[in-house]
Amino acid sequence: MMIMAWRIFTASWSHVWRNLWIGLATVIVFTVALLSVNVLIATNVLLERAVTFIEDRVDVTVLFQPNTPQGVLDQAKFYLTSLPQTQYAKIITADEALVAFKERSKGNQKVLDALGELPGNPLGAELVIKANDSSDYPFLLDAVRNPQYLPFIHTSSYEDHRDAISWIQDAARSLRLFGSALVAIFVFFGLLAAFNAIRVAIYTQRDEIAIMRLVGASSAYIRWPFVLEGVWLAAFASVFTAICVGLGIVYGEPILSRFFGMDVGLQSFYLRQGAILVLAEFGTIAALSGFVSWIAAGRYIKR
Amino acid sequence: MIVLEHVSKTYHPQSIGLDDVSLRILPGEFVSIVGQSGAGKTTLAKLLMAEEQPSAGRIEIGGWDITRIRPREIPELRRQIGVIFQDYKLLPKKTVFENVSFALEVSGAPGSYIREVVPQVLKIVGLDEREHRFPRQLSGGEQQRVVIARALVHRPKVLLADEPTGNLDTLNTQDIMDLLVKINAFGTTVVLVTHNREVVNALRRRVITLKDGRIISDHQHGKYTL
Repeated sequence: MMIMAWRIFTASWSHVWRNLWIGLATVIVFTVALLSVNVLIATNVLLERAVTFIEDRVDVTVLFQPNTPQGVLDQAKFYLTSLPQTQYAKIITADEALVAFKERSKGNQKVLDALGELPGNPLGAELVIKANDSSDYPFLLDAVRNPQYLPFIHTSSYEDHRDAISWIQDAARSLRLFGSALVAIFVFFGLLAAFNAIRVAIYTQRDEIAIMRLVGASSAYIRWPFVLEGVWLAAFASVFTAICVGLGIVYGEPILSRFFGMDVGLQSFYLRQGAILVLAEFGTIAALSGFVSWIAAGRYIKR
Repeated sequence: MIVLEHVSKTYHPQSIGLDDVSLRILPGEFVSIVGQSGAGKTTLAKLLMAEEQPSAGRIEIGGWDITRIRPREIPELRRQIGVIFQDYKLLPKKTVFENVSFALEVSGAPGSYIREVVPQVLKIVGLDEREHRFPRQLSGGEQQRVVIARALVHRPKVLLADEPTGNLDTLNTQDIMDLLVKINAFGTTVVLVTHNREVVNALRRRVITLKDGRIISDHQHGKYTL
């Protein structure tokens, strides 16, 4: 058994070397397919990161009427803080809000002049709410708009942020869908290339196969070297892909981080998940490649 | 023993390879199957090596009914039937030794056994000093000897030779026939498929004559009568 396994193993290697060029073409197509998978994964990581980055900076501010009693504000803060969806709730008093507004409007003299014309502080207190998850904001806003507090609420800033969050989430969904279709197309062409590579390899060795059958070689002995050849091609493609992805991260991440103004986190993602990803990609492409090789070899080993 | 009972092989309704053929070949016999082109000789050879299945009838080799042989059993059958072809079917990029050892390698024989047996077989066919040569460096007769060595390496019970002298001159033909007779003398059943009149007549062994897929004569010390 070990002798046969060794002979099948060595025969598969000799198949690879005999059909080097067509094998190389197959490896390139496989590599492109796997790279497209990695581009999709990296884009996903980037989008997740972008969503988290924006969500971290998003909070909702509920603006109260200027004459809202402090007791109502404290009650509203206490109520929201007690909800599990709330990360924190903070009151900005009317005076603090005015200081902050003046600070923001420093360069706009007209606004400052208009503010000076008004008697007293036109702004009310604010309740800043930070949710644990961006999808909790509608719930928290509904919670704060209960009849107890509603008469005192002037407006909220949620609508300004909602569109941005939803746009990113939609973009991520669309990109995943488009990327999956792209990957499926690349994988399909990769498999087609593998199928043809193995068929050409088998065709060039058809005399040898005929003689093998003649002298009593089993179907498995004839077939397995071709199946293993498909697995070798998948292994080469996986290694090339890993090298390309590694280089891409080393040289591409600083550029991307500068462009987006944040740490895009690709390196840390691949350090955590890279080994599993490479194994999963190799496993999938090797299984598919081996399968098409099995099919391709079938025609030549009948009786 | 090889037994054929009412064996027919039909390719198309108008194309009949064999038509109700029954025969028995005893162990150690040397039988020539003769006939003109299209008589059914090659069909018979293909049926014996399970390259094709009969449309009707039953074939038994050494007590093994191969009529409905399962694909996974075919390799085992082919190790018991050595086959020799007119066009040699040697691997041009392998040496004489490698061509013969190839037959053992594919059946899983260990390297030590291969190194022991192959030189012995090459000595039987008279090629022990040419084991490192490639087929292109050999004459037609020598190439056919390599094929015979390859067929013998499994120590088969039956040697099936389909037109083994078809590509050879008279001198080489005589050499190959002498070799087949020698192999037969060791106890191997030899089934010779040929349309070479001189070869058959010189042998003075059993001759089965086919015509249009049927046996028209079967003589113990026969001659080529067509």
